[in-house]
Amino acid sequence: MASKNTTRRRAIILLTLTSIMLVTLDLQDSPKVAGLRSLFGTLFYPVEGVARVITRPVGNAWYGVTNYNKLLDENSLLRQQVAQQEGATVAAAASVRLSQELLALNGLPTLAGINAVTAQVIGESPTSFSQKIEINQGTDSGIRVGMPVLNAAGLIGRITKVFANRSFVMLITDPDFSISVKVVSTGRKTTESTVRGITSVTTSTAVPLEPISNTPDAETTTTTTTTIPIAGFTAVVTTLPSTPQGLTSITVPLASDLDVRETGVIQGNGPTRQPTVRFIDNSLRFGSIEAGVPIVTAGGSRSLAPPDVLIGVVSRVVERVGSAGPLLEIEIAAELTNLSFVRILLYQPITEKKSP
Amino acid sequence: MLASRWTRLILVLLVVLALQTTLFKELRPFGVAGQVMLLFVICAGIQFGVSIGAIVGLIAGLMFDFVVSTPAGLGSIALGITGATAGLYLRFFPNPIWWLRLVSIGFVSIIGEIYILIAQAMIGLGVVLEFRLIKIIAVVTVINVCLTPGFLLITRWTLSERKKDR
Repeated sequence: MASKNTTRRRAIILLTLTSIMLVTLDLQDSPKVAGLRSLFGTLFYPVEGVARVITRPVGNAWYGVTNYNKLLDENSLLRQQVAQQEGATVAAAASVRLSQELLALNGLPTLAGINAVTAQVIGESPTSFSQKIEINQGTDSGIRVGMPVLNAAGLIGRITKVFANRSFVMLITDPDFSISVKVVSTGRKTTESTVRGITSVTTSTAVPLEPISNTPDAETTTTTTTTIPIAGFTAVVTTLPSTPQGLTSITVPLASDLDVRETGVIQGNGPTRQPTVRFIDNSLRFGSIEAGVPIVTAGGSRSLAPPDVLIGVVSRVVERVGSAGPLLEIEIAAELTNLSFVRILLYQPITEKKSP
Repeated sequence: MLASRWTRLILVLLVVLALQTTLFKELRPFGVAGQVMLLFVICAGIQFGVSIGAIVGLIAGLMFDFVVSTPAGLGSIALGITGATAGLYLRFFPNPIWWLRLVSIGFVSIIGEIYILIAQAMIGLGVVLEFRLIKIIAVVTVINVCLTPGFLLITRWTLSERKKDR
């Protein structure tokens, strides 16, 4: 009996020391721990596969019982939204196309130029504390740790662990998630300029406006520009009146008309709280930030995501005393509670790329 | 082969882990996943004492760590301590009463979830203190209490010593 107790004590000490050593190594991203994890995953995957097949009917029955009414409501709501957005999609697609053409013309990187892998979400995190999902693509598809993950609405997270044919995605709501972002100003501004007798009135605002109609008088010709925000971005519709003979229409972009941006860092706050953006400069270049302005990734040589991936819009601005700058609460564009397919951008910043 | 309690333990833990990562990951009452690995460890500790509870917790935690994205070894330590805590039950109540056992399993489930949170916080993983944590602990505890009868039988079969083991 005494020898049995001694053996057990030794086993406990050995296992405890092993655990402490593994924690230490794993926190330093040791490849040996990654290898062990991968080996265990390879051995465990068939067992899990069998369990998944056997338990799927039970899971389906559970969903049927708990989510039927919710699905019906959601379905009718989605039908309404689809009907509303069909028209807006056409305008947005045209704007995106135009934007990509302009970026390509100027030699700037675009999302269209980055390869992507589509993956299916095969499960949420087995624990309730972390905000992670599991997807069915891994290193075999070229996925690496840190790559950004998107769905149709925008950024949802980044890859944190990769195996041969599955990966874990840390969602944007996870308290450990952070990435540099840009706040794009769309505050109200009105400018007026006259070039050779042509008056140009430009009005932009964060809320939709009825088109402004001006009657051209005998001396001047007026162009009207109306901006309509669509999914956080602004589509611009310009109405040109008939040009008087002898005059040509001249477009003069003003520096003050261009979008002004501030950078900060977005950080997750758990599933029940909205993510926040910190480190916004206290002395903003475009005045105060208002609710509704879009937040996009900042990009840059050290950022894990390319620039201009939509994240969401500002839902609340919390002013802070001193030089801390405002704190922005962000309403994420993507719906994280019901993900089924995601897109992984095979993007690595220049600083992460290995030289050949 | 199956006569060795430790071999049985590894095989049964693989099955329980598979259930954890498939069925109990999907069935989320009130958005909370049940923790059957935690329940297995508690049932082992409550029936077989501190040392067996600690060993089962350490092994189960290690296996669980290899399939989740938290640092390997962290869950092992947390579940090891939980198993040892559950094992203390036999010291206080050597003659188990069924309802007392249920209450104890519920109580250790709460402590076990708190151990996991503390372990995560100690190595700097983000833990947001919010109302949802109370909901998680409450739901996990209720699920564990509901599944207790089945898991008591499984752990008893898995860890009981046969003649060959002695």
